[in-house]
Amino acid sequence: MNEDRLNEVARRLGAKAAERLDVAETARRVVARLREEPAQPAGVVWIHQTWVRIAATVVVLVGGSVALGVLSPSLGPRGGTHAAHLVADDLNDLSTDELRDMLTSFDEIVTDSVAVPESGDLRELDARDLRAVLRDLEG
Amino acid sequence: MAQPLPRTEPLPDAALIAAWQGGDEQAAAELVERHARPLARYLAGAGAPDAELDDLVQDTFIRAFRSVDRFRGQCQFRTWLLTIGGNVLKDFGRRTSRRKVMPLDEGVRDVRGDPHEHAVASEAEALLARGLKQLPRLQREVFLLRAQHGLEYEEIAAALATTSGAARVHYHHAVRRLKEIVTDE
Repeated sequence: MNEDRLNEVARRLGAKAAERLDVAETARRVVARLREEPAQPAGVVWIHQTWVRIAATVVVLVGGSVALGVLSPSLGPRGGTHAAHLVADDLNDLSTDELRDMLTSFDEIVTDSVAVPESGDLRELDARDLRAVLRDLEG
Repeated sequence: MAQPLPRTEPLPDAALIAAWQGGDEQAAAELVERHARPLARYLAGAGAPDAELDDLVQDTFIRAFRSVDRFRGQCQFRTWLLTIGGNVLKDFGRRTSRRKVMPLDEGVRDVRGDPHEHAVASEAEALLARGLKQLPRLQREVFLLRAQHGLEYEEIAAALATTSGAARVHYHHAVRRLKEIVTDE
């Protein structure tokens, strides 16, 4: 299946399921729910989600540092600190060539394939795009 | 409740959003009727089970209307809605991670026309659906926004808060992986 065929099939994907949807009834239910279900204040949701993320990050960083310390005692506290360093923080220091090399290496590790996509060639991207791809991959 | 806007011709999304923000429920209903089917196609393509599609579409609209203040026109309303749908589907997947998600085969079956042609078409769609489920979420979403909804990279990038170059790379990685997956099957 080539790219054109993939696109053609993708355009049909889910069409039958969507056709079965009763949009007028869906609209009625959405409006009813908006009326009946009180909205949680956005600030409360944001603060809650933020605290959960902060807590999760702390757990991962502390846990990772402790695990690294146990596995590699010779690294000492400096090794633990390094492990906790976020990859994204380093991206600003890398040159375009270094970013491209890193992304190519990452691609080879993830997909187990050396070839880069033809029309999505990494050589066509500037440093800003390469950083964006790496940050997207990092999540 | 605010008085519905007088209608002579279809209002643009921005006007309906403003009307909804002013309390016009009819404006919200019109936005749902306008965008529910493309959203359902996107969710189905991204792996939403048929039986849950209606609820997921509703949940997406509820979440969108509740957070519409954060929509600044950085992309089209529909594109923004589709990305919210992706988040709703992700949350649904987390909640039901122990349950097997139904494949899309039932949703893509068509009983009209030449049975052989439809069998081939359905097989291709089922193959693609299985391939999409194996992609990382970002690649899957970029592929669907581009291939299923025909969006430009700039529009996709604005919706996903990345660059158009990065969106292009994700799309081409997705295509390459899908070709490999489909060939292997």
